[in-house]
Amino acid sequence: MIIKKTMSSKEYILNKIRENTKEVFDKPNLEAIPVTVYKDPVEKFKQILSDVGGELYEQPEGENLNLEAVIKKFFPEAKTIASTLDEISFANLNPNEVEEPKDLDGIDVAILKTELGVAENAAVWFAQDVKHRILYFIPEALVILLKKSDIVHSMHHAYAQLEKEERPCYGVFVSGPSKTADIEQALVMGAHGARRVLVVLQ
Amino acid sequence: MKIGLFIPCYVNAIFPQVGVASYQLLKKLGLDVDYPIDQTCCGQPMANAGFEDEAKKLAMRFESQFEKYDYIVGPSASCVSFVKENYPRVLKKEKHLCESIGKIYDICEFIHDVVKPNSLNASFPHKVSIHNSCHGVRELFLSTPSEMNIPYNNKLRNLLNLVNDIEIFEPKHIDECCGFGGMFAVEEQAVSTAMGRDKVKDHMSTGAEYITGADGSCMMHMKGVIDREKWPIKTIHVVEILNSEG
Amino acid sequence: MSTAHSKAAEKFLKNSQQAEWHNETLWMVRAKRDKLSKQVPEWEELRNNAEALKLYSSSHWVELLTEFEKNAIANGAVVHWAKDAQEYREIVYQLLSERNVKNFVKSKSMLSEECELDDYLIERGIDTVETDLGECILQLMKLPPSHIVLPAIHIKREQVGELFEEKLNTEKGNFDPTYLTHQARKYLRQIFLNADASMTGGNFAVASTGEVVVCTNEGNADMGTAATDFHIAAFGLDKIVPDRESLGVFTRLLARSATGQPITSYTAHYSKPKKNGEFHIIIVDNGRSEILGNEEHRKVLNCIRCGACMNTCPVYRRSGGYSYSYFIPGPIGINLGMAHAPNKHAGNLSACSLCLSCSMVCPAKVDLGEQIYKWRQKLDELGESNTTKKILSKGMKLVMDNPALFNAALWAAPMVNKMPRFMVYNKLNAWGEGRDLPQFASESFNSMWKRNKVQLNDNKKDNE
Repeated sequence: MIIKKTMSSKEYILNKIRENTKEVFDKPNLEAIPVTVYKDPVEKFKQILSDVGGELYEQPEGENLNLEAVIKKFFPEAKTIASTLDEISFANLNPNEVEEPKDLDGIDVAILKTELGVAENAAVWFAQDVKHRILYFIPEALVILLKKSDIVHSMHHAYAQLEKEERPCYGVFVSGPSKTADIEQALVMGAHGARRVLVVLQ
Repeated sequence: MKIGLFIPCYVNAIFPQVGVASYQLLKKLGLDVDYPIDQTCCGQPMANAGFEDEAKKLAMRFESQFEKYDYIVGPSASCVSFVKENYPRVLKKEKHLCESIGKIYDICEFIHDVVKPNSLNASFPHKVSIHNSCHGVRELFLSTPSEMNIPYNNKLRNLLNLVNDIEIFEPKHIDECCGFGGMFAVEEQAVSTAMGRDKVKDHMSTGAEYITGADGSCMMHMKGVIDREKWPIKTIHVVEILNSEG
Repeated sequence: MSTAHSKAAEKFLKNSQQAEWHNETLWMVRAKRDKLSKQVPEWEELRNNAEALKLYSSSHWVELLTEFEKNAIANGAVVHWAKDAQEYREIVYQLLSERNVKNFVKSKSMLSEECELDDYLIERGIDTVETDLGECILQLMKLPPSHIVLPAIHIKREQVGELFEEKLNTEKGNFDPTYLTHQARKYLRQIFLNADASMTGGNFAVASTGEVVVCTNEGNADMGTAATDFHIAAFGLDKIVPDRESLGVFTRLLARSATGQPITSYTAHYSKPKKNGEFHIIIVDNGRSEILGNEEHRKVLNCIRCGACMNTCPVYRRSGGYSYSYFIPGPIGINLGMAHAPNKHAGNLSACSLCLSCSMVCPAKVDLGEQIYKWRQKLDELGESNTTKKILSKGMKLVMDNPALFNAALWAAPMVNKMPRFMVYNKLNAWGEGRDLPQFASESFNSMWKRNKVQLNDNKKDNE
């Protein structure tokens, strides 16, 4: 019995690519790009955060952060406050304790911590360290703790930093609330992710 | 330096006064300028329609007509940039190395970059709106393309600034296409006319009495719209303004 | 002398109010892009590097894609390869049917449009919901997208309001975009939470890490993949980039070019499957390896699908996405259509005045306008050239090649100026539909020169 070996699609595609590669280009040296660095990256972050529809609370110099009071101020109506962070004693839901992602629907405020913020676009990085990654999207509002010293200038700097860290199973840059302008280009905050994002700068 | 004057087909047929102004202006600037006789066309209309090869004979003729000149100067940014962009390739098929591209200039470009006059004895006491035509902007860099992040510079404005009594404006969509595009004007008549109308309205919103630019083909298209709508604005080539009497 | 596009464009322009709105709204997006690009001093360097990165990547597809596959598998993902649209559809269907998926959510993927996935799955009993708001609206209306980033740009709020009244039971007469968007949020949230599987495209596939990067503003890709345990990510060969360092360049260019934002709200990096879940990646060719071999046109593979070329194109803005025969419109659509199926899409080539604004906004420096010019040169050999244009061109050549003929024509031309209007402006004169003809000069330059009328001032000066 002769078993006819057919070429896998992968081999077929790779062969086609080889046949069709007529010219080869070198990899550019990206270090030569004159990346803008800001005199005050924290100020830049704050300005852009406002531009993208995010809100800001800056911990005053020399004072302790009373996060519970801040949240009461910004989200007086909030009933379900979720957090996996040990230091948040006033949260009434630990998202790691629910079975399914859908059980997290209805969270008014989720408190998250990030260790990387980007000045040029007010993005913050979450390397998944919670049971359900839906936590970054399903709550009505996110409160994000960010240290000023963790703000880098640009995405180049951000990716350079991430290269030094262990890669998570999932990571996401979040910049401001979820939004859309799909209806007549009218900007609306709160498409499918958080309607409000508050960054607490420490 | 010997200058050969390049007169595009539509300038020859429709705007000869632009050719006359070009010649006179270059003479006023003390230059040795001559017109190789019986020029016809650079071939752009055929090429843009998809028949670039029809321009082969024209390209060869162009090369020989202008062979003995140090500079080729013409009052049409689009024709000059057509020669620069396409003649080398068209002529390569004839195994001819294109000489013209090293020495061909749009007349505004030439006066701005090569002659560099400090003053012109010209006066044009009118409000003008500069038409930054596509090939002039994006192929000859007569002005900074609005799409790019490089410092603003407009050679036409720089030259017009030398003219006495003139007031210079630019439209809001500073270098959006007027819609001529050669065969495009006929093949996509509805879009072309809509673009022309929008562009003229933009120029009119500056309060200008004249639309002025380096490309007569754009002027011709906009004038077509103006005449149909009987709108209160006129068109004039930059070279005619620069050549006006002081 | 009309083409498929020109006829459709003429129809589009008949609704002048809608056409004006479409034109101005898209120009605003271009203006937003300009504002942000001018805030980045190194913008042109970023573009140069994006171009270089894409040229490098596409000339190293074999290495980079095999590296990607190796790393993705090490992450725990399953990698499939699809030669063409049919195979892609079959792989997706097989994966879903094996797992008894009934409720399937998708985020925006132009690749899935290209391969016509949705209808294929729906015909086979898998409820496939588009979750990007614009795509969702169009799916409910049974219409195709008219822009790759702003798919429902041509739809007015009243139309959305009426649609949602019918399908989502929203308040009658409430056309406020904020209200409608929040109703869609509620509606789609239930769909997300009850979905069995999700699918995304990929903005970038990173060879060195085996990651797929997905950028959205709405968070729909994110909700869908987070709510389900089975995620399929499919991307075309041209989405591969070498490493995360290169993402620095692309993530800075993409949203600024597309919508005038510094970055999309979400930039997700998918590498490993969920704990009890699966992550399947499909690498799709569907003609891209062929395009790679086309020297004059392979630069279309640089495209990062930002849509900036559409927003700036004066023709697209005034004719709308439905005037183009390819599912992607505008400058990149004209070029991709020709690269994939030239005879089918040659009717789009007229949709360009060669203004080159597209080439100038493209973050990856695809030479869009220049390529359209080159495609036009090939129309004849493709058998697609318009006879009238051909005759006109040959006629012009005849006159232009022969100075005596040319001069004779110039001598005769002014007679047109004097002809009665009905003879000049009629159905045969396309120029004349919206414009007056130019007036031919009573004497041409050639003639004036020969009669010493140009050099007049010379003689005066010489005699002074």
